[in-house]
Amino acid sequence: MAELVLALALGTLFAIGTFLVLRRDIVRVVWGVAIISQAANLFLVTMGFGLTGDPAADAPVLTAGEGAMYADPLVQALVLTAIVIGFGTTAFALVLSYRVYEENGTIDLVDLASSPFEGPAARAGEARADGGEPTADDGRSEVADRPAADDAADGGDH
Amino acid sequence: MTSTVVIAPLLVALGTAILALLTRRVPRLQRALSVAGAGAYVVGVAVLVRAVRLDPDGRLVYRVSNWDGPFGIVLIADPLSTLMLALAAVVSLVAAVYSVRFVGREGQRLSYHALYHLMVVGVTGALLTGDVFNLFVWFEVMLMSSYVLVAFASDSDATRAALQYAVLNLLGSAVMLLAIGGLYATTGTLNMADMARRLADPTAFGIDPAPVLGLSALLLVVFLLKAGVMPFQFWVPDAYRAAPAPVTAVLAGVVKKVGVYAVVRLYFTVFAAAPLTVSLPGISGGPELGFLAFFGPVLFLMATASAILGGLGAIDQPDMEGLLAYSSIAQIGFIMLPLAVAATAAAPAVRTVGIAAALVYSVNHGLAKSLLFLAVGAAEDAIGSTRLSDLGGLTEVAPVLSGAFLIGALSLVGIPPLTGFFAKLLVFDTAVRAGAPLALAVALAGAILTIAYVTRAWNNAFWGSPGSRVHAAATAARTGRDDGPAVADGGHADAADDAHGTAGDDLATVASIADPVLVGCTLSLAVLLVALGIGFDPLYAAATDAAAAALDTEAYVRAVDPAIAGDAIADGGGTGGDQDVAEQLRALRGDGR
Repeated sequence: MAELVLALALGTLFAIGTFLVLRRDIVRVVWGVAIISQAANLFLVTMGFGLTGDPAADAPVLTAGEGAMYADPLVQALVLTAIVIGFGTTAFALVLSYRVYEENGTIDLVDLASSPFEGPAARAGEARADGGEPTADDGRSEVADRPAADDAADGGDH
Repeated sequence: MTSTVVIAPLLVALGTAILALLTRRVPRLQRALSVAGAGAYVVGVAVLVRAVRLDPDGRLVYRVSNWDGPFGIVLIADPLSTLMLALAAVVSLVAAVYSVRFVGREGQRLSYHALYHLMVVGVTGALLTGDVFNLFVWFEVMLMSSYVLVAFASDSDATRAALQYAVLNLLGSAVMLLAIGGLYATTGTLNMADMARRLADPTAFGIDPAPVLGLSALLLVVFLLKAGVMPFQFWVPDAYRAAPAPVTAVLAGVVKKVGVYAVVRLYFTVFAAAPLTVSLPGISGGPELGFLAFFGPVLFLMATASAILGGLGAIDQPDMEGLLAYSSIAQIGFIMLPLAVAATAAAPAVRTVGIAAALVYSVNHGLAKSLLFLAVGAAEDAIGSTRLSDLGGLTEVAPVLSGAFLIGALSLVGIPPLTGFFAKLLVFDTAVRAGAPLALAVALAGAILTIAYVTRAWNNAFWGSPGSRVHAAATAARTGRDDGPAVADGGHADAADDAHGTAGDDLATVASIADPVLVGCTLSLAVLLVALGIGFDPLYAAATDAAAAALDTEAYVRAVDPAIAGDAIADGGGTGGDQDVAEQLRALRGDGR
């Protein structure tokens, strides 16, 4: 039973994470990455359990009651390390996505990808040609509206 | 043998990073410390290399907090890791000196030097560790600082490239955690040597080796992502374009090679021990190949795609940095190709040559590609552009820089007196010895593409008549307007533009538009490429030693703990058994001293 619950939880987390990573919105992509790394952490914790259905081999969190049971402490140490690292990287990724928005004026990945790499020469000189129509897809109206709205909000802030 | 020398490079790099952070308010002192630290790192690595050479086993082990073998983290220096460390030390010293001149005051205020040395810490740790989870941690240390360094210019291109780089690598880290968790659950250990021992005799430890194949395939994805091999190469061009030149040099020269090292270490030393027969359609995998019968063809396909598509991509690039970045993808194909051949070759001699070829090629590529990126950085610093259409005639205005670039480029192509010749020769030799005509054809096609893009870079950027920007920079240099510290964000471009109107014709009177320190750094790498090519024997001996060390799983296991190498100790399972093992280990180590 515990096996099934954990497997379902892991599957759901990975599915949500993958779904978010494939979005066009940078913030959602970062959320997706964060969820996937949390799913990996959960997976790591489950690796310390016997998951046999036998209470003696399973972890205390799964079969409350008996006091003489131990979960493998090593995976918990690993997960702690991984959580700390994940915290740092997620914070960095969020700051970076704000910076991307500041520099490019958009958090839409398709818009970002369609603006060509400029290089230092072009940056110093020519104005940026913002070519490339966002490709049509279902989420377009939702995503396409956001940069404009954010621009307005941003203008107020400064 | 146990030795504290193993952590010397690690401590030096870490100490330098901390000192660089502490001296943030005294930029001059920070710069001096950064270079001194990089120098001390070279000394530390040299001491370690010597100690490993003098050791009868050729392997030095450091136990963190003195915890024994499989229970604690061990750091192991063997000929394979020291060869990679030596490459890292040389490249990082040159790039550190280069950075002092290249990174401006603003960049320094943003802790450039501290980040740079932290990246070196991560590289060092990843090369030395003997623990799979610890490898993950060092990868993260290395990547965290490289994320910031890629985003360093923090303009629209750099932030975009850094986001791409960070998201891909964060996903990679999650996959790596998955693989490590699975490996722990399957084999019951994280220690590489212990894992190799358990995989070698799965029934004795109650391990089913079949899931290890899938888990190690997941792990391979992560390493190949770090190395930038073809299906995982997306981040390479943008990140290399965005990062400051010395960082790009270290990323391409050293950080990529950590991925290569991890593939050699884990797949040839650890996973190769598992007696699992894998057969793919069309591949005759015997039991002596084990897992490698599966990874050989996979690596071969990826290496082929990298060498061919990377080469084609490089030919089409509009700018030098893009060209070199795609060239990096193509060259990593050349490094993976002999590894793929070695994986499917059963004969130990062919395996040794294959790994040695990959290592020599790694050293050659590490030095040559760093040189080329540094040279392009120096040109960009003077001219403000790396677009091939803006460049041209650099031989007239920067002769020494052009000479250094030419040596690096020729070494990539593989012209006889240079290191690159022997590297290519060994790749071809591996293919011939293994009787793999397909690999030979791929190597040949890749070599032809290398000639094509190197020729294009040389013809467009260095020969011909100087472009307007080159002209402007030359004039500015002549009138002395272009003095002052170099700035990483292309501040020189403005000066060049200002001087455009008064461009003179007598470029011949200008000795060099490039900064002498930057030119000196590139030149030192060029001299090294020539020297290693002429005196190739030590490098070849080192690479062969490293290859032999990588293939000698038993010696690796024995070095980590003499007790666990013996098959006498079965897995006790309970606490009592573990205590017995620990006591036995302690007794054995007491005898050893």
